[in-house]
Order: sequence, then structure tokens, then C-alpha cells
Amino acid sequence: MGFYTLGKILVVTSGKGGVGKTTTSAAIGTGLALRGYRTVIVDFDVGLRNLDLIMGCERRVVYDFVNVINGEASLTQALIKDKRLEKLYVLAASQTRDKDALNKEGVEKVIMQLAKDFDYVVCDSPAGIEKGAFYAMYFADEAIIVTNPEVSSVRDSDRMLGLLASKSKRAEEGREPIKECLLLTRYNPERVLKGEMLGVQDVEEILSIKLLGVIPESQAVLKASNTGQPVILDEESDAGQAYGDAVDRLLGKEVPHRFLEIQKKGLMKRLFGGRE
Amino acid sequence: MNIFDFFRQRKTQNTTASVAKERLSIIVAHERGQRSQPDYLPALQKELVEVIRKYVNIDQDQVHVALDNQGTCSILELNITLPDR
Amino acid sequence: MSQADLLDQDPVFQLKGSMLAITILELTHNDLQRLDQQLAAKVAQAPGFFQNTPLILALDKLPEGEGAIDINQLMVVCRQHGLRTLAVRAVLESHITAANALDIPLLPPSGAREKPIELPGKTAKAVEKPAEPALRPSKLVTSPIRGGQQVYAKGADLIVLAPVSAGAELLADGNIHVYGAMRGRALAGVQGNTSARIFCQQLGAEMVSIAGNYKTAEELRRDPNWGQAVQVSLSEDVLIISPL
Repeated sequence: MGFYTLGKILVVTSGKGGVGKTTTSAAIGTGLALRGYRTVIVDFDVGLRNLDLIMGCERRVVYDFVNVINGEASLTQALIKDKRLEKLYVLAASQTRDKDALNKEGVEKVIMQLAKDFDYVVCDSPAGIEKGAFYAMYFADEAIIVTNPEVSSVRDSDRMLGLLASKSKRAEEGREPIKECLLLTRYNPERVLKGEMLGVQDVEEILSIKLLGVIPESQAVLKASNTGQPVILDEESDAGQAYGDAVDRLLGKEVPHRFLEIQKKGLMKRLFGGRE
Repeated sequence: MNIFDFFRQRKTQNTTASVAKERLSIIVAHERGQRSQPDYLPALQKELVEVIRKYVNIDQDQVHVALDNQGTCSILELNITLPDR
Repeated sequence: MSQADLLDQDPVFQLKGSMLAITILELTHNDLQRLDQQLAAKVAQAPGFFQNTPLILALDKLPEGEGAIDINQLMVVCRQHGLRTLAVRAVLESHITAANALDIPLLPPSGAREKPIELPGKTAKAVEKPAEPALRPSKLVTSPIRGGQQVYAKGADLIVLAPVSAGAELLADGNIHVYGAMRGRALAGVQGNTSARIFCQQLGAEMVSIAGNYKTAEELRRDPNWGQAVQVSLSEDVLIISPL
């Protein structure tokens, strides 16, 4: 990456809360760094800090996004270097109660500076369509829309897609629109087969955007957040592997979709129960 | 100590849930403390820079203030890089 | 403080400009008896129209030689049928003088284009229909229309070459064509064009409406053509759904 190439700004958003945005931001950001790209993950929530916990760096947060915007700290001071990967950094969210702490000029300055220094700027959006979510998507070049195969999530994702198409900086300036793709999370093939859960094709049909990947419902995700290790580092888990595939597809590789069918459980797992 | 105590101790140390509990108790305790206290680190750093500037010409970037929470105690680390003579 | 200052601080009135749509009765013959009969016939046709409706009496279209008009009697006949004269439109000196004598406001002949009112069978507030708008090219949308978005094709048809999500709203003064799944709301002929139609490749709409006559999904779902390629048209205030 040379001086003249700006890094890609990628937003991970959904509209609906609790669908797996932060898990995804952490996994995808880590995945990109693993594949050699200088990556920073930015938590855009205002007031509720989550990314630092999922990344396992919660004890090293001194300065946050709003401190940098307000000039109370430099970007260098606020960026937290990941202890596992040398190309991975985190910018934590502010714990302030002030909803106006984020402003367009301030966010733009920080994001543009990050785009100069990094190959990928992953923006972890909060839920909803208010300020944090708006600024997370406003400067984006690409968007990953995290959706659960569930009616409110799909509807909220659709709404978010409408905002991405009309309210982003690219839309306002009439430039090429944000490249959108769908990440279906908490997918349960058994329930889809029974007809209890929306299938991949159902969601694709309603949202009409390219599918980036399908992440199966997995115990590995809870384990990952418990230990502060992004799930993509759990290479044996289904979710970890699915995220790995998703990162490869993001980088342009053709990877067949796995984990769409019911996994045949080994004898040991069947005897002792549980779902891996 | 009987055999069941032995297994119980092992269990609390090894599960990811126990790791999570430990991480949470530290960070929540820290954040609760911070809510009553004003966030003084940025202001502290700014004032330190001003004081040092009276004697040596330095940048804000050359003063580094870090708070490290280790278990039950917090360590305030202060790094000042003085310019070459 | 002077008188003027006090007046400024507490205005008693405000002058405002406004545009009114109003009914005009153009008299073509000076025959009050036949006017009475013909008005009665019109009232029977559309009684709702004749409820103290404000009126402009236009005398400027009367041909020469019809004789002197008894404006007062003319107004009485009108009032009997629920038409209240606001002003008189006149050109001839005699008419002007007569109107002034009765203290009725006068209007010069207007250059505006007026359309004849066709009284429908049901109650309707008749308005001076504006001139037909010039034909505008259709509004074309090629990207999906998402929930929460609204597209309005003003004075034109709307053509959508992508799916329309639930929660999206399409409006057009003309027809609406959706070459994709239609899951939102489509309102065609919003300015009153009853011959507007809605065409869609896959009917899954939350609501369809033509010139204000609508059907919601609850009813549409029961239609045998639900989920199919259909056209929606209006016939005698009833929406008809027919397969394409």
C-alpha cells in the first residue's frame, strides 16, 4: 500500500440489534489482518463500548474515538495494537452519554486519516439508524449487512439497505454506490429443513443483494466472546471456518458455501450431546 | 479437602465462562469507579505537557499517559520522550 | 409612544392571498323558467353538489339580443337550488351597472381555461379542472426500492425494473409498472386519474390503489392471482385484478 492509495472503508451494519455485528467486525477484521492486510476496527457506538471486550483488549483502553475527535488525544495514542497480530488495531468507542459527541467533520477527519494509514478500516456499527449507525455507514466504500434468518432482522436489513443507497456520502455525491453484501448469521440448517426458519434463498430473494457468507449457529461464538478471542481464530469451529471463507470471498476468491446442510455428528458428539 | 472439592476447583479455573466472569468483574468494577470520577487522563496529560513545556520544548505526542488495570491494582504509567540535545 | 406604534404592535387583521377553485354558471339564454327546470334536473342527478355551493354567475357568454337580465331574480333561482352567488362576471355596461346596484362584486372575464363540470352520480365537490398536464417521460427506477423509501412519478408513469420491498411506497400520477416482485404499496393515478393502472410481475403488495380506491393485502391475498403477474384497473370505483 503506497502513500497514494487510500484503504477501503468497510461498514458492518444491520439495523437490528443482537444479530452479530460486533462478532462479525472482530472476525472479519482479524481475518484480514491474518491475510497480511493492515487493518483497524473502529467501534462506532456512542455510550456503549463492545468491540474492546470481543477483541479482548478492554483493559488497555485509555483513549477512545471521541477523545480523538475532541483533540484530547492523538490517533496514535488512542489506537490499541492487538497482542496476537501485528497488523491489527482497535479504536474503542466512547463511554460518553453525549449523543452529539460524534459530528460529521470530526468523524470524517479520523476516518480519512485511518484510510491513509491502513489497508482496511472496518467500521463496527451500533444497532438502529441513529447517529452512530449513520456515521458508521456514511463514509463507507463497502458494506456487510449482517442478518439473522428472522423476520424483523430481514426487514431492518432491508431498511438499512435503503439508507445505504440514499444517505451515504457516495449517494449524496452521485458516485458509484456502496458495494453491498449479505452475511447471514445464526443459521440453523435443521430448522430450515423443518420449515421453521427462513432459508438462504428466501432471504436472498427478499433482500436482492449478493451473499457474502452464511455463519452457522455455533457454541464457538459464545466461547469466543467469553475469552476475548475473535471466533475466526478458533480454526476448528464451524463458525470460525465460515468467517474465514467469508473473508476470502471479500478478497475476491470463489469459495463454495459450507455449513448450509445439516452436519453429520460424529459418534462421540452424539453420545455426549451438544452442537459444535 | 475431599475429591469433589478438587474437581470443583478445576472446573472454575478452566471453563471459558469462568474466564468471562473474571474479565467482566474487573472491567465492570473499573468502569463503575470511572463513572463517579471525571475522566482525568486527557486533562492530566495536557497539563503535564504544559508544565514540561516551561522547561523543555516538547509535543503532545511525546508525553504518553497510560493506565493499566492489573487485577486489584491500577498502575499509572507516564512516559516522556525528551528531544535530542 | 405614538398611535402608529401601538397599532403596529397589535394588528387587528392580516391580508393574505389565496387561490380558490370555484364553480361558474355560464348563462347562455336569458330564460329563467327553463333555468329553474334544468337546475332542478341537475340537482336530482347530484344533490350533494348543490348544498350552499359558492357560485360565480357568468353573463359574458350571453349572445347579443337576449334582453335585459334580472340579476336579482337570477340569484334567487340559483339560491333556491343551493347555489350562492359570490360574484358576477360581466362585460356589458348594463350588466355591470345592475350588479353594482345590487352590491354584488364584479369580475372581469378571465383568460383562464375552464373545463365543463361533469356531475358524477355520487356526492362530489366539483372543482375547476386544471388544463391537462403536458406529457412527461416515465420515471424509471432500476435499483431495488427498500422499506421506508418512497418514489413519486409526478405527472408521469412509474416503471420499476427491480423488486419493491415491503414498507416501500410507489406513487404516480399515471400508471405503475413493476417488473419484479411487488411487496410494497402502489398508488397509481394519485391526482385523480381513474384510468391509471398498476402492472406487476409478482403481486405481493401490501396495498394497491387507483385514484384513491384501494385494496389492502388482506383482501388481495384471497385473490386467485396473488403471487402472479397481474394488472390492476379501476372500473366503476371497483379495483379489478386480472392476470397478465
